[in-house]
Amino acid sequence: VQRDNFRTCSQVGFCKRQRALEHGQSMHVVLPDTLKVSKNSATLEVLDKKTDVRFLLNIFGLKDNTFRVKLSEAKPLRERYEPPLGDVLIKEPEREDIVYAGQSGNQLTFTKGSARLVVTTEPFRIDVYSDDDPVISINAQGLLKFEHTRNRPEPPAPADNQEEENKEDGEVNMWEETFKSFTDSKPFGPTSVGVDISFPGVEYIYGIPEHADSLALKTTKSTDPYRLFNLDVFEYELYNPMALYGSVPLMLAHNEKRTVGVFWLNAAETWIDISSNVADKSIFSNLADFVTGNNEIPQTDTHWFSESGVIDVFLMLGPAPNDVSRQYAALTGTTPIPPLFSVSYHQCRWNYNDQEDVRTVDENFDKFDIPYDVIWLDIEHTDGKKYFTWDGVKFPSSEEMLRNLSSKGRKMVTIVDPHLKREENYRVYTEARDKGLLVKTAGGGDFDGWCWPGSSAWPDFLDPKVREWWADKFALTEYVGSALNLFVWNDMNEPAVFNAPEVTVNRDIKHLAGWENREVHNIYGMMVHVATMEGLLKRTNYQERGFVLTRSFFAGSQRTAAVWTGDNMGEWSHLKISNPMILSLNLAGITFSGADVGGFFRNPDNELITRWYQAGAFQPFFRAHAHLDTKRREPYLLPEENINAIRSAIRARYTFLPYWYTLFHLSEESGAPVMRPLWYEFPTEKATFGLDDVFLVGPSLLVRPVTEQGATSANVYFPGTNQLWYDIETYETYKGPAEINVPAPLSKIPVYQRGGSIIPRKMRPRRSSTLMFSDPFTLVVCLDAKQEAEGQLYLDDYHSFGYRDGAYGMVKYSFHSHKLHSTVSHPGTQFTTSEWLERVIIAGLPHEPKRVTLHFSGQTTDLSFTFDNAKNVLTVRKPGVNILQSWGISLH
Amino acid sequence: AQRPRGVSSSKASFYQEGKEFVCLDSGQVIPWEYVNDDYCDCSDGTDEPGTSACSNGFFFCENRAYRGTYIASSRVNDGICDCCDGSDEYEERIQCSNTCEELGKKEKEEREAFRKLQEEGYKIKQEYIQQGKRTKDEKRARLSELEKEMAELTSARDDLQQKKDEAEAPEKEAKERHEKAWEEYKAERQAEKDRVAAIHAFAELDINSDRRVDLVEMQRHMEFDIDSDGTVSDEEAREYLDDSDSVELEKFQERIWANIKDIYKPPQEAMEEGERQPSEQPEAVTPPPPPPQEEGKGEDDTKPAEEEEKMPPYDEETQKLIDAADAARKEYNDADQKVRDAENEINGLKKYLEVDYGPDEEFSSLRGQCFEYTDREYTYKLCPFDRAVQKPKAGGIETSLGKWGHWYGPEEDKYDAMKYENGQSCWNGPNRSCHVNLHCGTENKLTGASEPSRCEYQFEFTTPARCSRPQPEPKEHVHEDL
Repeated sequence: VQRDNFRTCSQVGFCKRQRALEHGQSMHVVLPDTLKVSKNSATLEVLDKKTDVRFLLNIFGLKDNTFRVKLSEAKPLRERYEPPLGDVLIKEPEREDIVYAGQSGNQLTFTKGSARLVVTTEPFRIDVYSDDDPVISINAQGLLKFEHTRNRPEPPAPADNQEEENKEDGEVNMWEETFKSFTDSKPFGPTSVGVDISFPGVEYIYGIPEHADSLALKTTKSTDPYRLFNLDVFEYELYNPMALYGSVPLMLAHNEKRTVGVFWLNAAETWIDISSNVADKSIFSNLADFVTGNNEIPQTDTHWFSESGVIDVFLMLGPAPNDVSRQYAALTGTTPIPPLFSVSYHQCRWNYNDQEDVRTVDENFDKFDIPYDVIWLDIEHTDGKKYFTWDGVKFPSSEEMLRNLSSKGRKMVTIVDPHLKREENYRVYTEARDKGLLVKTAGGGDFDGWCWPGSSAWPDFLDPKVREWWADKFALTEYVGSALNLFVWNDMNEPAVFNAPEVTVNRDIKHLAGWENREVHNIYGMMVHVATMEGLLKRTNYQERGFVLTRSFFAGSQRTAAVWTGDNMGEWSHLKISNPMILSLNLAGITFSGADVGGFFRNPDNELITRWYQAGAFQPFFRAHAHLDTKRREPYLLPEENINAIRSAIRARYTFLPYWYTLFHLSEESGAPVMRPLWYEFPTEKATFGLDDVFLVGPSLLVRPVTEQGATSANVYFPGTNQLWYDIETYETYKGPAEINVPAPLSKIPVYQRGGSIIPRKMRPRRSSTLMFSDPFTLVVCLDAKQEAEGQLYLDDYHSFGYRDGAYGMVKYSFHSHKLHSTVSHPGTQFTTSEWLERVIIAGLPHEPKRVTLHFSGQTTDLSFTFDNAKNVLTVRKPGVNILQSWGISLH
Repeated sequence: AQRPRGVSSSKASFYQEGKEFVCLDSGQVIPWEYVNDDYCDCSDGTDEPGTSACSNGFFFCENRAYRGTYIASSRVNDGICDCCDGSDEYEERIQCSNTCEELGKKEKEEREAFRKLQEEGYKIKQEYIQQGKRTKDEKRARLSELEKEMAELTSARDDLQQKKDEAEAPEKEAKERHEKAWEEYKAERQAEKDRVAAIHAFAELDINSDRRVDLVEMQRHMEFDIDSDGTVSDEEAREYLDDSDSVELEKFQERIWANIKDIYKPPQEAMEEGERQPSEQPEAVTPPPPPPQEEGKGEDDTKPAEEEEKMPPYDEETQKLIDAADAARKEYNDADQKVRDAENEINGLKKYLEVDYGPDEEFSSLRGQCFEYTDREYTYKLCPFDRAVQKPKAGGIETSLGKWGHWYGPEEDKYDAMKYENGQSCWNGPNRSCHVNLHCGTENKLTGASEPSRCEYQFEFTTPARCSRPQPEPKEHVHEDL
């Protein structure tokens, strides 16, 4: 990375000012007399004794063990930006009653269920307790700093006032800032907000993507704070807190006892400092609670500050990891179940040059019998980088090309970026310009920046009418040459501007409602893909699901787009970092995420490509991509050994599609990540808290991708006390908790099914997922130490919104007392399928049964079976029942 | 008897209805009912030739009127018509029309067209082969001829060199003698001129004609004003008179004239200079236009033509020696040129003969020709066995895509492709290279150019040289199992 293209904290005025604060400097007091309590909220005034400015503190009780704490200026000179409902929050969060328990000394106490929120008036702080344990403290370090709106001082200011001013804010960069050759006019002066948030009893915190860093966040004592500011970072560096393409200001704090979450709702540039500490004795009601063993309670302190907006914090009290997922999902929504093709394998490259190239790649996948679902076209497919157009020479008959793909059940994704080429014959641009839909400079003209097409303009996606206009561009009649099997990729939506500060728009550019970019920067990219998805839904009158991939994102992006980790490199270190990066996105609700398989820049060697496919096959979004300057690396071009390993990896992905699909369904319902850190499933096992080279797909698949060059074995951490894990190929078992070295030659992906789980799979390889539509299922039952297991299967038509009207099936499986039960928990009558059950594999069975019988529809029939004595694996032959049936299979 | 679905007639005997089935490769034994029951029992996949149950199985498409083919079991009943008779989609998820006849006809036509192409191309190729072999033979013959000649040419040259050396020695001596005499004569003449000039100047200086030049007389000549103060002082005059107050002619000639002859000006000139001195110099204000420069004129201007006396012609004796040497030199140079010409020709022949022009020299006729292909943006040019280049259609400079490297086809057919490498290097990337695929055609033609990977180009080139002996006319419709 070219570091000097990007600001460090000390080059950002507010970061420098906020970070310079010392503990306890905040002079804020609560005025208890101002307390107003309603059923589910409380309001108090807070006074900054230094400046005499008053603030409003709002405390809301929210449903499902959540508090919302909001601090805003009582009388701002200019309104402060808060993202409108629907943009980030899906709706006004549902309230829940709180009880004001009264004032005692300088403390006001509010309770809600087993949770308690205590406001200390002087110095102002808030402590939140869950079941009497202190879990979150706000302003315990006294770092609250709310730069109130003010008028520009008249220069030269009287000496006294000037001194006052200096004393208050310490310094510089209040009314104008420069970076390199760029000047930020800052017409409204300093507006930053910041406060500290502490987690008593916590050593491990996670979240706040996107950073190329370990999953467990590190202290920032000797580095810059973690930065959230959506940027296009060329050749980004690993293991540092620099900002990347997207931001989700959600943090999870976890210890053996519970998980809590903090969501900092602010769309402006945000920085977060982290330090580890020892908890503050005073918040423990019983001093004995303060000591565990011989040690004082650890604590992690975080310090958040944003360039503008208000302080609006959601405190989600868990207590389990999936509780926090659900609590956060209630605020910002979940990922609707993606169409099945998009969960399959994607083949991308910058660029597939022309129709002939597309045809050849497509044919080669079939020739080499490697399944794939989607082929992608990057920017070169357009006429001069004018999105929604085609290069007429290279793609003279795109509809025919799309039809040919469609005949094999395949799809295409084309890129549509938000920068519009400023060219008179480009209707999308002239229309946007003439209708006044473009973002403006501080001076008022249309902003003009440099991007792929050269001189470009950017629609203001924050404006709902602009989004509507954009969405209409995806109608088949507007996007000429497209078809219903064409989906969309939004890149460069941070937005990236080559000739502007930090490769993005100037902070003082204006959005249509008058907000400056500095106030809304981090949600611009999300609004681009929101509008794009709207377009895809609209073109089928909301009948068919869409698919959009985005590079830039914010909290809420999960509702309308998949995310990839941007322009990574074809290097082993980048393969390795893909695991924590995607895990972090998953914890922050962005479940449908992945990294460019093979690495975008540079030429990975055959071993690295192969290992990357093996990892990608078990990450949620699975797409190979490569830079224009790289050598061709479609899997079939590799040596045979590598082709075979990659084919197996991709086929493995396809066999597990029913499981992925079920996980995505569950994620839509609950917000649960589909790719999970081990601690998410084993929250009391401290050895898992720092692991990010091994992960779980859903609750039941343990994956340890090989990310080391030349490796022939891998150390795998198997979690869980007495927990069995079964190799998905050999059914060899491993028992947790233990770290075990397993053989991992190039052909091997270390993946294990959890003992106690039942995973539905489809074992017949096809050319694309669409062609597997009516293929039969294999149930893989891996027994736990008690000879039990359970699982489930979600089914629908794999592409439409019919499921929202009940057209889906849900089947629960359980195995206990030598009997496997299938229980259909949903269809009703709206959904039927011809899919059936061809095989049941039961692993971990100590003895061969004498007889296996099927109980179905009042009848009992014998089933053939084979038993592998060496592996203790029973294979039951062809139960043959429709998959949406209740039945039982008994082992005698 | 009816064969099970997906089984070819050649394998039908293994599938005996009612008998236990023995998996063809793995040898497992299963009940007949398990064959094609949509469940995979044989690890080799042979019990399910007609369903998609075995991931490693094959389905036989009968394809009457075309040709029987196997497809992977995974393509059975997947909604795509893979067999032209549609037999793979018997569950009728999709309606497949039978296209075998059409396909068979088309294939036959294509085969026929290709056969014709091969035939025609192959004829031309024979010419190429003859031509190529002839060329090669000629070049080889020429080479050995030249190599033989080379010895003679070299020894002839060496003889002539000796003769030349022999003729040049007396020539050199005679010439030097002549030139030396001339130099001596010139020196004498110069001394005489000086003497006369001294007498002349003495007379001019000796105004009072007392046969002595004294200080006063010297002082009339401003050129002796060493410090340029406008007067010639006694000291200055004395300086030039060898510290004497006056000198007589003899001493003037011996001691004085040599020192002053370069500055001395005859009285008229000396006076003019003296008069001009105080006046303004108009040249300083308006410099005269620079004189037109003409080749060789510069020196004449500064030293007015005092026509240089020419050396007299060599004497007859010397001239004879010179003529003899000139003749020897010419003979030598001619012989040397012959050696060089022969060397060049040998190098050229060797370079040609080093290249592999195919097993029968069939590609050799492509050498020395260039072929172009133009797409929307560029004109691509291939000069076989030399280079590949690209040039923007709109004009501009040529970019080298590579110089001839080597044959690049697969091991069993290396003449299938050529590689040109080490072209112009790419920004941020490798040196450009070009992969040329060769196809049978009736003419030499560059038919396509693309850049599948950055800076790695691919050309398509047709040539009769790639046509193989056409197969004999096929017998009418062979339907066979594979």
